[in-house]
Amino acid sequence: MSGSAFKVCMLGDFGVGKTSLVARFVRSTFSDKYLTTIGVKVDSKEVLRAGREPVKLVLWDIAGRNALDTVGANYLRGAHALLLVADGTREASLATALDLLMQSRSLLPSAQVVLAINKQDLVERWEVGPATVRQLRQSLPVFETSAASGAGVADAFAAIAAGLAP
Amino acid sequence: MATLPAGDEHAKPTGAAPAAAEPGDELERLRELLLGDERRELVAARARIAELERMQGKLSQRLPDAAIAALREQGDHPRVSAALAAPVAQALGAAVHNNRQSIIDALFPVIGPMIRRAVAEALRGLVDNLNGAIESSLSLRGLKWRLEAWRGGVPYAQVVLRHRLAYGIDHVFLIERASGLLLHHAAAAGLPALDADAIAGMLTALGDFVGDSVGSDDHALDAAQVGESLVWVEHGPLLNLACFMRGVPPAGLRSLLKQRLEDIHARLAAMPDGSMLADLAADPEVQERVDPASLLREAQIALAADPAAAPKRSSPWPLLFIALLVLGVLGWQGVQRWRWQQGIDDLRVSLAAQPGFVLGKIDARPWRSLVVHGLLDPDAPSLKALLDRAELGAATRRFETTGYVSTDDRIVELRARRLLQPPSDVTLTMHEGVLTLAGEAPADWSAAALARAPLIAGVRAVNSSLGAPIDPQIVARAALKQAIAELDALRVDFVREDEPVAGSDTVVDAMAAKLRGLDALAHDAGVTLHLQAVGTSDETGGDGTNERVRGLRARWLALALAARGIGDVGEADAAANPEPSRRSASVQIATGPSP
Repeated sequence: MSGSAFKVCMLGDFGVGKTSLVARFVRSTFSDKYLTTIGVKVDSKEVLRAGREPVKLVLWDIAGRNALDTVGANYLRGAHALLLVADGTREASLATALDLLMQSRSLLPSAQVVLAINKQDLVERWEVGPATVRQLRQSLPVFETSAASGAGVADAFAAIAAGLAP
Repeated sequence: MATLPAGDEHAKPTGAAPAAAEPGDELERLRELLLGDERRELVAARARIAELERMQGKLSQRLPDAAIAALREQGDHPRVSAALAAPVAQALGAAVHNNRQSIIDALFPVIGPMIRRAVAEALRGLVDNLNGAIESSLSLRGLKWRLEAWRGGVPYAQVVLRHRLAYGIDHVFLIERASGLLLHHAAAAGLPALDADAIAGMLTALGDFVGDSVGSDDHALDAAQVGESLVWVEHGPLLNLACFMRGVPPAGLRSLLKQRLEDIHARLAAMPDGSMLADLAADPEVQERVDPASLLREAQIALAADPAAAPKRSSPWPLLFIALLVLGVLGWQGVQRWRWQQGIDDLRVSLAAQPGFVLGKIDARPWRSLVVHGLLDPDAPSLKALLDRAELGAATRRFETTGYVSTDDRIVELRARRLLQPPSDVTLTMHEGVLTLAGEAPADWSAAALARAPLIAGVRAVNSSLGAPIDPQIVARAALKQAIAELDALRVDFVREDEPVAGSDTVVDAMAAKLRGLDALAHDAGVTLHLQAVGTSDETGGDGTNERVRGLRARWLALALAARGIGDVGEADAAANPEPSRRSASVQIATGPSP
């Protein structure tokens, strides 16, 4: 094991682009079929941090869901950070992400949380308005990302890495 | 403990005397009058309750010493133990029911060794049963292992397990149980790099998935196997140890993994407060405990030092008997093999000495079949008898030959005899390619033979000393003539009439002997003989008398010869013969052509 490793769970509704974000960020070891079989796929990536030791993010890409069941809750155990993912073109997915955050708070009261509003490349079709984004930024870090173009993806993960101790 | 409310007006102090008779004071006096005793008892009861509460507050401090003193003083009357048994059992039950994980964490270091001991006992029984089951196996490999066990003084089953349980450890992962994060990864040398963090996470996720799928919080994924690849996962309260292997590891390795995980937990517990799990992973001793080479080495040592495998000396007799039996069988097979090979060698020598045969090769399946390959001249004598005489048991045997022309003198001589068909009086010999013809033969045969002989394969030159044959008939006739001449010289003389002179029997016997040899000569000469007894007379007497006397003498001789086995002798008068005057009788022979 090189450096410190941290568990980062990705939560979000179906089809918001969690797996695409991971695929953009890392070269996967395991097939996506695990998402449809056991409901999770794990990858890892070392992230450099300015002036600090690099960290290894162990990304648990949990299959899309709108509520936490037993299996999903088990997968969250011991997570250091949550990457909530919402689809900017579906406002309901944002509500789902926030619901999932509320449900996971009992399990992970001190986990760092970052919100990625995905599909920034389709910003003209977004249902999530700028005002909503501004309000959200007052509560948690929000990144507008695009798994298709890669925009904002590295920044979102870098923000998670920056927030992890040491 | 319930207390009375502090603000209760009934509890107000009553020490001051009333200055004037107010309604309240009246009421108080009335209470004093009616309830004075009860109120004093109430005050005393309050004081006693306060004292009890004070003492109870210090009970937690006094209880341990009190319990120890009580246990020490109870002696043979365990009142305290009996009194505590039921509540302790209930408390333990409630703790197991309500706070199971704490109980598990507390008992983990104790339960592990207990379970290992129970498993070891069960395995010992299994090994004993296995030993009994396979001791009767007599395969070659089994005999080899049995010999190894006998030489090493260890049970046969242990040797079998040692040989059969070949395995290797590829990866060992030390994983934080809750998060699935990898704390340490060790791999065997030469393996390609892999994303150990992702694998550790997936393994944890799989364990969670399986546990949730079977609906059990107490059980997790302990093992998974795909083909020869095997994963064992040992679970601890805080850490899991996953071991990726190939082959068939011994059961002892599982115990070793449990022990290593317990050691790591113990080391974690001994770390100073505030230590991180990462500090544990960086501990060289922890890393050494999950090193694949170290695990393999210790598992091997544990297997060798298994107390169930205490050296015991097996009786050598069964092995010696088996060894003797094997030696006997091998010796018998060796003798049979030698006999077969000897028979083949003898046959090879015999075949090589045969003229007109060139031995190619011999295909042999010992005591089953034999095929002789070679070149065979058509004039060579048959080799079947030679093959049949070979001492090769009941093996089937046959020739596979190809024709050729031999130049061996013996075969060339046979070939010349076949082609020339020499008469019996001709001798035919071959020596170094030279055909020699000798003896007597008809001229036409000799001419044909001398013309054909140089053309016979293998004949380089022809020597001939053939001569014209002597006619046996002529020889026989000459001999017959000689014999007849000798017979003519024999005469029987008479004194008078047909009275022979003394000694005439000797003459007749000589005549008979000569006549007996004439038949063979006549046969060879190709003639027939006509015998006639002829009487002669002197010149005295009359002609008539002499003729009668000649007749008597011829008859006498014919009868005398008949008496000696010579029949068919006719009688003739000598008057026709120019014989000299003599009183005698003789045999005259006339020859004629054979019928």
